[in-house]
Amino acid sequence: MSPSAKKVLILGDGAAGTMMGNKLRFHSDPSDIQITVLGNSEKHYFKPDGVSIPFGFKDYRNSVKPTRSLFNFGVNYVRETVASIDVKNSTVIASSGKSYFYDYLIIATGDRFAYEDLPGYEKAASHFYSLEASLALREKLNHFNGGKIVIGQASIPIQCPPAPYEFTFQLEQYLNLRGIRKQTELHYIYPLNRVFTIPNVAPFVEKLMDDKGIIIHKMFNVDSVEPEIRRLNSIEGETLDYDLLVLVPPHRGQKVITESGLADESGYIDVDRNRLNYADYDNVFVIGDATNLPISKAGATAHFETEYLANRLANEVNGNAFFESYGGEVACTTITSGSRAITLFFSYNKPPRVNYESKSDYFLKWTSSDTYFTGMIRGIM
Amino acid sequence: MEDVKPTKVIDARGSYCPGPLMELIKAYKQGKVGDVISVYSSDEGTRKDAPAWIQKSGNELVGVYTRDGYYEIVMKKVK
Ligand SMILES: Cc1cc2nc3c(=O)[nH]c(=O)nc-3n(C[C@H](O)[C@H](O)[C@H](O)COP(=O)(O)OP(=O)(O)OC[C@H]3O[C@@H](n4cnc5c(N)ncnc54)[C@H](O)[C@@H]3O)c2cc1C
Repeated sequence: MSPSAKKVLILGDGAAGTMMGNKLRFHSDPSDIQITVLGNSEKHYFKPDGVSIPFGFKDYRNSVKPTRSLFNFGVNYVRETVASIDVKNSTVIASSGKSYFYDYLIIATGDRFAYEDLPGYEKAASHFYSLEASLALREKLNHFNGGKIVIGQASIPIQCPPAPYEFTFQLEQYLNLRGIRKQTELHYIYPLNRVFTIPNVAPFVEKLMDDKGIIIHKMFNVDSVEPEIRRLNSIEGETLDYDLLVLVPPHRGQKVITESGLADESGYIDVDRNRLNYADYDNVFVIGDATNLPISKAGATAHFETEYLANRLANEVNGNAFFESYGGEVACTTITSGSRAITLFFSYNKPPRVNYESKSDYFLKWTSSDTYFTGMIRGIM
Repeated sequence: MEDVKPTKVIDARGSYCPGPLMELIKAYKQGKVGDVISVYSSDEGTRKDAPAWIQKSGNELVGVYTRDGYYEIVMKKVK
């Protein structure tokens, strides 16, 4: 390693951190940039498969790879838990006690489930936002023979805003395949005055729900759960009884972010929306779900962010001109039935448009774990 | 409006839908009956969404005001 090489330190070994390290390696020479990634996950799980795993539609073993195996040659991956981040002194301290100094810091620690925000949640609800939870839900569904299922999210923001409706459409298909759809009421709750965050996509999704006989409850903001009597109460004063509750848990950014003074209690970091810099720091960046940007928390968002940032850093370190900025691009494909899906493309200035469901989009989504593990995460795409 | 003084002001300018509404709901949850909560938002969607939520939740919509480059939506917590 060249002593003059700039030290780039990436925190987080999920979608954003791994893509970032691998992409930057492709764009730069090890004699110019030395890349270290700190992360604490043993396995890398492809979360989008969580909308299919609870139904046995996908073999979960194809959705997981050892984290260490995903880094390209020339990226130094260290299994460490980050304990504190000191941007004033360009130092990160790990829980092992080791200090890491950097020239550039990229924070990609994602977010976490804040079960404490909704007392009773763990007793009351199932979800599909982690592999463990998806497998536990699969078990529950195996024993489900009809009744009332309530699906929704405990709060906003969550990872992948379309995932709750994507899950619901697959659940509907699953119930049909098992021959118990007629014995099952499906209720979909949503915090806003529509069924999805983005206003011009919501009517399309709502129509699909209506066609499938899914009962919608808009402006239902979860206030409390009563696991003993299986009841969900909204801030707006409504109640819903259930036999099975599938509720995306409340989310927050990582504790280490708040404890290091980089964000308020929400744990999400404010960043420059076009440059991805943290505050006035020219050498500190935030990518992926850890940001407070007003766009979807999605792997696809991280993909576009890393494309921008890897290019920028490589050029900056090499003294080249770089005039691009990050425009808030996101692309996401979501399943709407047993054979169709829709793809949404959007950016800060361009809302997505959706006109039809397509089989080719379904194929794109169905094979996305392969595309992800062989291309995207490797920084190739 | 001038005689109803907000007990809490949320400046959510620059934040996009549904950010300002979620901030308002958070403040509502943390507040007490009688509180007057005002939210500033530069987002067009919030101008419709926030009053709809205030009404649905059974609270009082004090007013929606167009200010210099942003909207101010004021509610009173009645329950
Ligand atoms: C059900 C579901 C469906 C989804 N579907 C899609 C989809 O179709 N398309 C799409 O684009 N996105 C989708 N997503 C969202 C996507 O998975 C996330 O947006 C993406 O994983 C974000 O990447 P990230 O690196 O920011 O966070 P993560 O992938 O969560 O990674 C964060 C990493 O940081 C590590 N970490 C955290 N704290 C510390 C610490 N203190 N020290 C060390 N390491 C730490 C964690 O171990 C983790 O590995 C979906 C998500 C879910 C849950």
